[in-house]
This record gives sequence, structure tokens and C-alpha cells, in this order.
Amino acid sequence: MADENDNDRIDDNQKPEKMFTLKKWNAVAMWSWDVECDTCAICRVQVMDACLRCQAESKKDSYGKQDCVVVWGECNHSFHYCCMSLWVKQNNRCPLCQQEWSIQRMGK
Amino acid sequence: MSNKNSINSLNNTGLKTAIDLDQIWGDLNLGIRQVYNRESMSKKRYIELYTHVYNYCTSVHQQQNNGRGAANSSTKKGKHQVGGGAQLVGMELYKRLKEFLKNYLIKLLDDGIHRMDEDVLKFYTVQWEDYQFCSKVLDGVCAYLNRHWVKRECEEGRKYVYEIYQLALVTWRDHLFKQLNKGVTNAVLKLIEKERNGETINTRLVSGVINCYVELGLNEEEPGAKGPNLSVYKESFENVFLEDTERFYTRESGVFLAENPVTEYMKRAEQRLQEEQRRVQIYLHETTSERLAKTCERVLIQKHLELLHSEFKQLLDADKDDDLGRMYSLVARIPDGLGELRGLLEQHIAAQGLAAIEKCGESAHNDPKIYVNTILEVHKKYNALVLVAFGNDSGFVAALDKACGRFINTNAVTKSANSSSRSPELLAKYCDLLLKKSNKNAEEAELEDTLNQVMVVFKYIEDKDVFQKFYSKMLAKRLVQHMSASDDAEASMISKLKQACGFEYTSKLQRMFQDIGVSKDLNEQFRNHMVNSNETLGIDFSIQVLSSGSWPFQQSFTFGLPSELERSVSRFTNFYASQHSGRKLNWLYNMSKGELNTNGFKNRYTLQASTFQMAVLLQFNVADSWTVAQLEENTQIKQDFLIQVIQILLKAKLLVCDEEENDVNVNSTVSINLGYKNKKLRVNINIPMKTELKLEQETTHKHIEEDRKLLIQAAIVRIMKMRKIHQHQQLVAEVLNQLSSRFKPRVQTIKKCIDILIEKEYLERTEGQKDEYKYLA
Repeated sequence: MADENDNDRIDDNQKPEKMFTLKKWNAVAMWSWDVECDTCAICRVQVMDACLRCQAESKKDSYGKQDCVVVWGECNHSFHYCCMSLWVKQNNRCPLCQQEWSIQRMGK
Repeated sequence: MSNKNSINSLNNTGLKTAIDLDQIWGDLNLGIRQVYNRESMSKKRYIELYTHVYNYCTSVHQQQNNGRGAANSSTKKGKHQVGGGAQLVGMELYKRLKEFLKNYLIKLLDDGIHRMDEDVLKFYTVQWEDYQFCSKVLDGVCAYLNRHWVKRECEEGRKYVYEIYQLALVTWRDHLFKQLNKGVTNAVLKLIEKERNGETINTRLVSGVINCYVELGLNEEEPGAKGPNLSVYKESFENVFLEDTERFYTRESGVFLAENPVTEYMKRAEQRLQEEQRRVQIYLHETTSERLAKTCERVLIQKHLELLHSEFKQLLDADKDDDLGRMYSLVARIPDGLGELRGLLEQHIAAQGLAAIEKCGESAHNDPKIYVNTILEVHKKYNALVLVAFGNDSGFVAALDKACGRFINTNAVTKSANSSSRSPELLAKYCDLLLKKSNKNAEEAELEDTLNQVMVVFKYIEDKDVFQKFYSKMLAKRLVQHMSASDDAEASMISKLKQACGFEYTSKLQRMFQDIGVSKDLNEQFRNHMVNSNETLGIDFSIQVLSSGSWPFQQSFTFGLPSELERSVSRFTNFYASQHSGRKLNWLYNMSKGELNTNGFKNRYTLQASTFQMAVLLQFNVADSWTVAQLEENTQIKQDFLIQVIQILLKAKLLVCDEEENDVNVNSTVSINLGYKNKKLRVNINIPMKTELKLEQETTHKHIEEDRKLLIQAAIVRIMKMRKIHQHQQLVAEVLNQLSSRFKPRVQTIKKCIDILIEKEYLERTEGQKDEYKYLA
């Protein structure tokens, strides 16, 4: 393609101020829940994965939507939302610190 | 003629008067002679004869009804000479009939006794058929006698009284058969031998004799039993015939084998077996079929089994599929005969597989395509053999599977790599070749076919977890780099794996697939967002956000992101936070890549580069030369890694250095090569780094080991939870069994895992018991 063409030669002393300009960037990033502990203390499964119940269920349909989100309490402890909603039916305290459980925020 | 009158008179009197046997015998005897002389007989005459018998029997019957005891003691006509017991009328007639038949046959015997061979057969069969027919007629004539007198006699347990047809048979047996049967049987055997030797014979002669022998098998003990019991047939013919057969084929097979190769012998044996079956159908009794087949099989096959076995190997070597099929169908007739063949087949296939891989030599080690295709060729060949020649016999299928499992998991390639995990690795790489975008991607249908072939090999892979690891790594790369040839093919392959190994095996692969879809939408939304907020990033930015935990990627170390990229990162991070909550993003710079335009060279090039390369090259916007130490400080890339990045740039001739490429160190100075030129305007300098690759391989294998330990521990806990207390040996066996579909754990590792679990207090050793564990809830 680029046959030698001496006339086109750019003078070394006259180079543009920038040698390289950025044209394109394909970035790759990994998301995870912003949690202190990777594992849900209730079901002992990583919070990044669906909780045990959801895993068992999605085994049935071909592949259900992964809707098993994380929930943070005011105490800043986090669990699978599914696990916690079952837990509070019996005991409305955080399993880890025994503080009264109230939801600070939900994962989305 | 004189009898005619008396019959008429009888009919007129209304048959109530007693009739003396002599009154009717004359005419009856005449009629019977007519029958046995095969003279034609009118219906009327037949009725007359029947009536004689009827009249004779009923005339006395009348008295019988008056009173039993009195009847036989005093008032009677022709039967007082018998006397005693409950003797009914009919005996005298019966005796005379018996006498008649005996005399008839004795005369016949005179005619036949000196005959030989075919002559005696002709005589015997013709006479028999006549006799049988005539006796049936006689039986009809004497039907009334049968129904009453004979029946009563039999009911009262009297032996040696038969219905008239039976009587005829017994008499034949006692007077003709007993004298003639040896000669007749011999003649039949001679005839059969003639046929075996290829001559045409009159099979009617044989079947006639056989029919007669069958008919003569009377159930004397149980007159009520239906049909012949074949005793005569079996004793006088079948046994001798089978001995004769055995003798014939022993001799024939010996002689034939001495003069012909085994393959010819098999054809002959097959033909002989067919002939014998046809023989049974045509002129022997059907019950002989099985015994005859057994005899022939014993003589023709079983006795030569060793010879056949040794021939089997040679036929395999020579790929004589037809002969192999013939041997299979022959040996399959012998109980347990196939075991040896299965073993030989397994050995042969395994050896062929090993040899085929060995023959590929070096190329099989590194070229997944050659490796997998070599395996497939061997499998295809023997699969076809098993299917066609061995009728897909389950034992042979198992032998094929065992052999394939053996040579696929342990062969020259795995030995030189010193690890059986080389096979799954190469198979996964082959999948990558097939599914990655390239200029030689196959057609959809063809690809599907090839993937099915891959699954054939996959079935035999022991370390399926290794395959999973490598496959997911390569799938991840294909997806992130948009290198998949076809989404359909990817999905199809995942579903095949799911089918083979279950949901869990592919759940992460499926999630990866999903993430890519989600990322597509996300990019779209982000672009819209930027347009709506009137912002531009100044570069063409795209991103893939993957869920952590599903992707086999390493976290990248932090480094000083070039200021040119910072804006994109922060804008997107904000955008992402607005879309989701509770999530954090981890940027994988090592996976990210981009393009740079060059402004300082002879041509305007576009360089496809990794993020790290971009960071280093962008430094040369500031100065033409840097020391490695300076670059390290500016980019914050770890030194050893930076040096590799620089080496690649040196190799690409974008940078120059006084030192040799391999001697670059912290103090080296590198400068931009202003004279850079390349034939292409788009240049890909993003080639993987050696240590990166090596590291990847190592971590992959390390991860496999770690994952296995977890799987083994999980299996142990599952088993112990169920058993509560378990012996060491049985525990190990059950663990091996549970995990066999995924990989083959080493016993050593299982022991280690048991120790770990004891330490973690899942288990304890039972006190005072050796090698026994107890589950701790």
C-alpha cells in the first residue's frame, strides 16, 4: 500500500505538537456489589451469585432473569434480598449485629 | 350280499334286539378290507359300515342301562367269554380289529423287510401314508366304539386300550416300525448326507418318514394329552441324526480348515448353519431346530473358537469389515463367546488411537485441529465398524467407549505434556478455532456438525472441569473482543455442554453471554445520555460491563490512567451509578484496548494497542525520549510488566533503544522511532505478552486444582451427611463415583481434603476405630 514516496516526507523538526492522538477506546469493566463481605451470611453464597433458592429455581426454567439483588441495612451489613426478606419474618434484627433491621438501600 | 338282508332287517326292527358280533363281522371285515385296499367307497357303504358298529354297540348298551351288575353277569350275547369286572361290549370287536391290523402289517412287513436305502424309504413312506389314511377312515367307521366303549375302558384306567386310530398307530409301531426303523433311519441319514454333499434328494421321502415318527409318539400314559409327544421321533431319529451331524461337521470343518483360510471357513460355516436351518424347515420337525443349531454351533464354531480369536486380530489389522461382521454373527451364537472379541477390539482401538496420535508427532501437540481430527478419525472408523459389523452390540459399544476413553486421556501428547489435562485443553482450543471469527469459518450447518463431533470427543474426556476452565476463558475472550463467528453457534455449543453436564456446568457461560447483551444496551444508553447532556468525550468510547464472579478474568493492577482517558472513565462511572445502585465498577485495563492515530510518521497510521501500550506511547507526546525509570514513574505500570510492554513496542519498531531488546532495564533510554514505516496503515501492535500467557496458563491450572479441592470437599460432606459414620475406603470410592462425570480425583487429594474437613470440624475420626469417620453436624 504505502509505497515509498519521498516527497511526502515530513520534516523531523516540524512534527506536529502531538505524536499520537487517541482515537478509540474499548474499555472493559467488572461490576460487583459494593459490599464489605462477599458472602451472604444467611445462605453462605456469594452475593454476586443468586441465593441458593434462586439458583434452585432458575434450574427449572431454562435460565431465569438473575433478579436476586442485594440489600443493605442501616447497620451497613448486606445480604441477598430474598434471604433477608425470609429472615425478617422470624426476627427483625440483623443476623450479624443484632441491630433492629431497617433497609438502607437496595441493589439495582 | 347276504349281509345286506340282515342289515335291512336290523334297521327295521328298530335295533332293540341283541346282535351277535358274527352277524356283522363278515360284512364289516369285508368293508375294512375295502378300505385298506384303497378301493373307492360310496357314502352309503361307509354309512353301512358305521351302522354295523353302531348296532353292535348299542344293542348291548340297552342292557347296560338296565343295571350294571346284573347286565354283565348273565344276560349277554357275544361277550361272556371275557367275563369279570365292568367289561362292556365292544371288546370282541376291538380284538378283531386289532387282529386285522396286526395281520395286515405282518404281511406288509414281509414285503418291506428286505428292502434297503431309498427303496425302503419309498416303501415305508408310501405304505405309511396309505395306512395312516385308511386308519383314519377306519377310525371314522368305529367312531361309536371310540366314543363309548373305548372311552369307558380308558376312564376305568385300563391300559393298552386305544381309540381305533391310535390302535392302528400302536400296531404299526409294534409290528412294522420296530422291525424297520433302524434301516429306515439309516436310509434317511444317508439321504441327508447326500444332500449335505451337494446332491439333490427327494425330500418327500425324508419328510414322510419324519411325519410318521412324529405321529407315532403316542401319549400312552396320558391318553387325554393332546398331540404326539415326539418320543419316537427323538429316540429313533433326532438323537442319531444329531450324532451323525456332529460327526459329519467335525470331519468337514477339520478338512476344510486344513485347506482354506479362516475367512473362507467362516463363509462355509455361515452357509452350513443356514442350510441346516432350512433343512429343519423343509423336512424335519420344528423342535429339532434348536438342538440342531446348538450342535452345529458347537462343532463349527465353538471347537474352533481359538482359531477365530486369533484371526480376529488379523482381520482388525487388515480392516476386513465384512469378515469381522461374519465372525461376530458366528461367535455371537456361542454363549459368552464374544467376551474375548470385545477385549481384543478394545485393545486394538486403543492401540490404533495411540499410534495415530503418535504418528502426528509434534504437530498434534500444538495444533488442536490436527489433534482432535486424529482422534475423531479413529473414533469414526471404529464407530462405523461397531455399528455395521457388530450390529451396535452393547458390549462392543462399551469396548469402543473404553478404548476411546483410554487413548484420548492418555497418549503421546498428554505424556509429553505430563498431564492428562492436555486433552481437554486442546479440545477447548479447537472449539475456539471453530467459533472465533476468521477467514475460514465454516458454514452454519457444517459448523454445527463439527461441534457435534467435538461433543463426541468431549464425552470421553475425563477432566471435564479442565475443559470448562479453558472453554470459559476462551469464550470470555471471544465475547469481550467481539470475535465470535456466530452467536447461534455459541449458544448451540453451550446448550450441548449443558445437556451433557447439567445446568451448573454452563451457568457461568450463560451469564457471560447475558452480560454481553446487557452491555450492548448500556452503551446505547450511555451514548444517548452524552448526546442529551451535550457532552463529548473526544474519543470513540465503548464499554463492556461484566458481572464479577462469572468471568475468568484477573483483576488488573492499578496504574496511572492517561489523562486522555480519565474523562471517559469518570463520565461513565457517574452514568453507571445513576443507572444502578449499590454497585461498584472495577476497570479491567488489561482487557481494554483502543486505537491511536499517529501524526509524526511518514504516513498516518492507526495503531491498535492495549491500554498499557497506549499509556506508554502517549508519553511520547511530551518528549521523544524517556528512560524506563521515568516511564515507570509516569505510567505507574509495574516495572517487569512495563519492560515487556516496551519490548513489544521495540519489536514493532515504534520505539528504538541502544540496548538489545532483551537487555532493556530500568536505566535504558527509549526513543520514538521517527522513521517508522509499515506497509499497512492499520497496525495491530496488541500482541499478548509471553509472561501474561504463561501466567494465565499457570493460574488456570492452579484454579483447577483449587476448584477440585472444593468439589471434593463438598462431595465428602454430602456423603458423610447421609452416612453419618463411614469407612475410609468406601468414602473414597463414593467420592470417586460422585465426581467421575466431572474429573478423576487423585486418592491423595481426597485424603488431603478429608484432613482439611477434620480440621474444619466437619468430620472426626471415630475413636478406637481405624479408618472410620463420623459426621459432625
